[in-house]
Amino acid sequence: MNAAVAQSPIVSITNVTKDYTLGKVVVPALRGVDLQVHPGEFISIAGPSGSGKTTLLNLIGCVDTATSGVVSVAGQDTKQLTERQLTHLRLHTIGFIFQSFNLVSVLSVFQNVEFPLLLQRKLDKNQRRERVNQLLEQVGLAHHAKHRPNELSGGQRQRVAVARALVTRPQLVLADEPTANLDSVTGQHIIDLMKELNQKEGTTFIFSTHDAKVMSHANAVVRLADGKFLDRLSPSEAKRAMAAGAEGH
Amino acid sequence: MGQLRLLMQVAFRNLFTSKINILIGGIIFFGTLLVVVGGALLDSMDSAMSRSIIGSVAGHLQVYSDDSKDELSLYGGMSGEPDLAVLDDFSRIKPFLEKHPNVKTVVPMGTSGALISSGNTVDLTLARLRDLYKKRAEEGESPALRANIDSVKSHVRQMVSLMEEQRNKSRELLSSAAVDPLEAEALARARTDAFWDTFESDPFAALEFLENRIAPQLPDGDLLDMRYVGTDLDSFQRTFDRMEIVDGQPVPQGKRGMLLSKFYYENFLKLKTALRLDNIKQEKDLNQKRIDTDPQLQRWVKENQTQTREILFQLDPIKTRQAVERLQKVLGNQEPSLEKLLSEFLSTTDDNFDTRYQQFYAELAPLLDLYRMRMGDNLTITAFTRTGYVQSVNVKIYGTYQFKGLEKSAMAGVINLMDLMSFRELYGYLSPDRKAEIAELQKNSGLKAVDRANAEEALFGEESGNSLVAEATPGLIEDSKAFEGALGSLRRDDLAARVYSQQEIEQGVALSAAIILKDPEQLQQTMEELKQSATAAGLKLRVVSWQQAAGLIGQFVLMAKLVLYFAVFIIFIVALVIINNAMMMATLQRVREVGTMRAIGAQRSFILSMVLVETVLLGFVFGAGGALLGSGIMSALGSAGIPAGNEALYFFFSGPRLYPTLSASNLIAAFVIVLLVSAISTLYPAFLATRVSPLQAMQTDE
Ligand SMILES: Nc1ncnc2c1ncn2[C@@H]1O[C@H](COP(=O)(O)OP(=O)(O)O)[C@@H](O)[C@H]1O
Ligand SMILES: [Mg+2]
Repeated sequence: MNAAVAQSPIVSITNVTKDYTLGKVVVPALRGVDLQVHPGEFISIAGPSGSGKTTLLNLIGCVDTATSGVVSVAGQDTKQLTERQLTHLRLHTIGFIFQSFNLVSVLSVFQNVEFPLLLQRKLDKNQRRERVNQLLEQVGLAHHAKHRPNELSGGQRQRVAVARALVTRPQLVLADEPTANLDSVTGQHIIDLMKELNQKEGTTFIFSTHDAKVMSHANAVVRLADGKFLDRLSPSEAKRAMAAGAEGH
Repeated sequence: MGQLRLLMQVAFRNLFTSKINILIGGIIFFGTLLVVVGGALLDSMDSAMSRSIIGSVAGHLQVYSDDSKDELSLYGGMSGEPDLAVLDDFSRIKPFLEKHPNVKTVVPMGTSGALISSGNTVDLTLARLRDLYKKRAEEGESPALRANIDSVKSHVRQMVSLMEEQRNKSRELLSSAAVDPLEAEALARARTDAFWDTFESDPFAALEFLENRIAPQLPDGDLLDMRYVGTDLDSFQRTFDRMEIVDGQPVPQGKRGMLLSKFYYENFLKLKTALRLDNIKQEKDLNQKRIDTDPQLQRWVKENQTQTREILFQLDPIKTRQAVERLQKVLGNQEPSLEKLLSEFLSTTDDNFDTRYQQFYAELAPLLDLYRMRMGDNLTITAFTRTGYVQSVNVKIYGTYQFKGLEKSAMAGVINLMDLMSFRELYGYLSPDRKAEIAELQKNSGLKAVDRANAEEALFGEESGNSLVAEATPGLIEDSKAFEGALGSLRRDDLAARVYSQQEIEQGVALSAAIILKDPEQLQQTMEELKQSATAAGLKLRVVSWQQAAGLIGQFVLMAKLVLYFAVFIIFIVALVIINNAMMMATLQRVREVGTMRAIGAQRSFILSMVLVETVLLGFVFGAGGALLGSGIMSALGSAGIPAGNEALYFFFSGPRLYPTLSASNLIAAFVIVLLVSAISTLYPAFLATRVSPLQAMQTDE
C-alpha cells in the first residue's frame, strides 16, 4: 500500500467546480474539490444524496467535463482531450460499473463481457475467449456464459458488469452506487468481489455509496457534503463520524 | 472482423425483438413486393406489347422521310393522319437499308385511313331500280326484267311504308313541331296508291322524287373509320409471320387487292343484330355472364328487340314473307308483322338464348346479308389529297386475316391491308408510266371517266354484289406532285387482272418502310448506325423504333411505368417518413444502451455503423422476403398466365394471356430502391444516436 502511495496519482483533482444550469438557474454540484487517488487504492466516496458523488465520478470517468479546475486521469488533463481521445481513454484506462448494471440485453453474458475487447481490437478471437472465460470464472459465472442478461438475477448481472469492467485490465474502475439496486447480502458479495480483484490485480477502484457497511471495505472514505470535500477518513473513522452525524440530526 | 460480427449480431438480434423493426420490416417487405411484382408485370407487358406491335405492322424499326412535317404514327395520331413526305423510290432505299448486317427484311408501307359510309339502304335500292329501268330503255322489256323491276319496286314500296311507320312511332316521342311538314308531305305522297299507279308512266321522274325527297329522310348508314396499310402484300405476309388468312384467300402475288382484318370485318361490317347475338353468346359461354343479371347483356338484348330496321330494310317482300313464315313457325304464333315477330324472337332470355341463337343462324341468316361486304366484293375508296384532288380506287376484297394471338385485339384489328399499287394510285403517287397504262386500260374497257357525283351510281349499277364506298380522311398526305386529269373511278376487271412484277411494286413511292432485324437486342445501335449512314449517303431518312412509330400506343407502357414508379415513389416517401419516425423512437428507446456503449469506450462511428448495419440488415432480410414472395407470385403467374379478360388488353398481353417473367433487373431495382430508402430514412436517427451522451447511461430512472 505504501508502494502505491509512492507512485504518481492515477486521478488528480484540483479545485474542481461543476455547475449545472437548469433553465436560468445555476445549480452548483461541486464547489471546489481536491482529490488524489493512487494506483491500487480502493476508495469509497460517501455523502448524502445530492452531495455530488455522481458528478465527481462522471468527471473522473471522462464522461463529463468540469466547469473549472483540473481533472487529470492517468496523467492526462481531460480538458485538453478531444471527444475521440476521451472515448479512447475510457476504453483503455477506465472500467465502469453502473448502478443498474447496463448490460446489452440482446447479447449473451459472454458477448457483454467481450464487448470492450472488441472495441479495443487488441486481442484475437482466442485471446479474447480466454480472457473472457477467465473473468467469468473469477466472478463465478463460468456456467452462465451463454445466458442472456434477463435470465440472470440482479447480483449475477452486476457480476457480469464487474467482469465487463475488468476485462480490459483497466487501471481504474469506477462504480457509482454499485450496490444500490441489490439487497444488502448481494451487495456485500459484489463489494467482496471488487475488493478481491483490487487485491489480486491491483486495479484501482473508486466507488460511491451511502451504505456504511459497504464503506468499511475501502482503504479510505472520501466524504462529500454539498458539493464540497469534507474529509478523507479511514473506514472506521468514517463510521464513527457518520454515526455522530446521524445523532446530530 | 470481430466488431462487424458483433454489429451483425446486435443488429440481427434487435431485428426480431423490436416491434418497431417489425413495422419497418413490413413496409420494406411490401415495398419490395410491389416493386418486384409491379415492375416485372409492366416489363412483361412491355415486351408482350412490343411483340404485338413489332409482329403486327411496325417491325423493329420504321424508316420515313425526314422532310415529313409530322412524326410517323402507324395507329393514327391525336389529330388525324400525320403529315408525311414520301419516300420517292423504295427500290433505292431498300438495298441501302439491307446493306446493314443486322437488317433482315425491309417492307414498304403506306399507312392511311378513310371513312366508309355504308350508303343508305333506300339509296342503294333506288339505284338498283334506276339501273333496271335504264336497261329496259336500252334493251327493251323482257318478262324476266319486268319481274325483276316489280320485285325491286315492291321492296322500295315496303321501305317507304316502314319509314312511315317509324315516323309515326317517333312522332309519339317528339313534339309535333319537330316534324318537318315537307318531309311528312313527301312521305305521304309516296305512300299513296296513286303515286305507284302512275310510276310506270315516268319512272325516272318518280325515281328522282324518291331519291331527292324520300331517301334523305332515312338517317344515313353509319360512318366507319377504316385504317389501311398499303404494302407489298407478299413481303408483308412473309415478314409478319403471325399473320394468317381466315376467310377467302390471300391476294395473289402481284395483284391488286385488299385483305380486311378479321376483327374489323366481324365487329364493324357484320349485321348488328348478328354481332350482338355473337357477343351475348361469347359473354355467356366464356365469361359465364347471365342475361338476367348482367346489364350489358340486357342492353344488347334490348337493342336487338328494338333495332330491327337493318333487317327489315334488307328484306324484299318475298324474303319478308319467308321470314314471317319461319318466325311464325319457330314462335308458334300467327303474328303477321315481321317487326313484331323479330322483336319477340330476339327477346332472348337465359333459358331460350341458345336455341334462338341457333335458330337465327339456321332460319333467318340465309335470307340476310350477314356482312356488308363479302369476299370478292369491291370496295371503292376515295381519297382527297391536300390540294383538293379527288381520287377513288376500286379494290377487290380477297379475304380476311388475323395475327395469331391478337385475334381479339381491337388495336391490331384496326389495320386492313391493301396492295401498294392501289395505295399509290389512291394518293396520286403513280409514276407517269403507270398512270398512262391505267388510262389505256380504262379507255379500252370503254368506260368514260366518271365524275364523283356519278361515281356511286356507276358503282352500284353493277350487278355484282354489294359494294361500299370509303372516303379517305382528307388532305393529310402531301401530294408533292400534282397529278393531271385524274378524276377517275377505274374499271375494276382489267386492273384487277393486272399482275405487277416485284420490280414494279418496289419501284415507286412508299410512305415508310418497316425493318425487321436479325438481332433485336441491338435495336438501338442499329438505329443509330442507320441514321448515320443515311446522313452520310445524303438520304433524308428518319429512323425510329417501333415504339416511336406506334405513336401514343407505344407510349402506353412507358406511361404505365411512370405511374407505377410514381406510386412506388410516393409509397417510399411515406415509408421514408414512417421509417424515419420509427427509427427515432427506436433510438430514443435505446438511449441508455447507446450511452452505455459510449461510456465503456465505443466511438461515435461505432454507434453510426451499428444503426446503419441494423437498417441495412433489416432491408436485406425483409426485402429478400418481399422479393422471394414476389418471385413466387411471378413464377406462379408465369406458368398460369394472367387472363386478359378485357379484349382491349389482348394487344398489351400479345394474346389472351400474359405469361409474365421476372428478370434479374427487376430484383436488383427492387433491392437498390429498398436499401436506398432504408439507408436514407435512417440517416437522421443514426446521427441522433451518435449524439447520445455517455452520461445518459448513468441515468437511473427506469
Ligand atoms: N444533470 C443535472 N442537471 C442539473 N442538476 C444536476 C444534474 N445532475 C446533478 N444535479 C444536481 O447536482 C447536485 C449533485 O448531484 P449528484 O452528483 O447526482 O449527487 P449524488 O450523486 O451525491 O446524489 C444535486 O443538487 C443535483 O440536483
Ligand atoms: Mg448519485
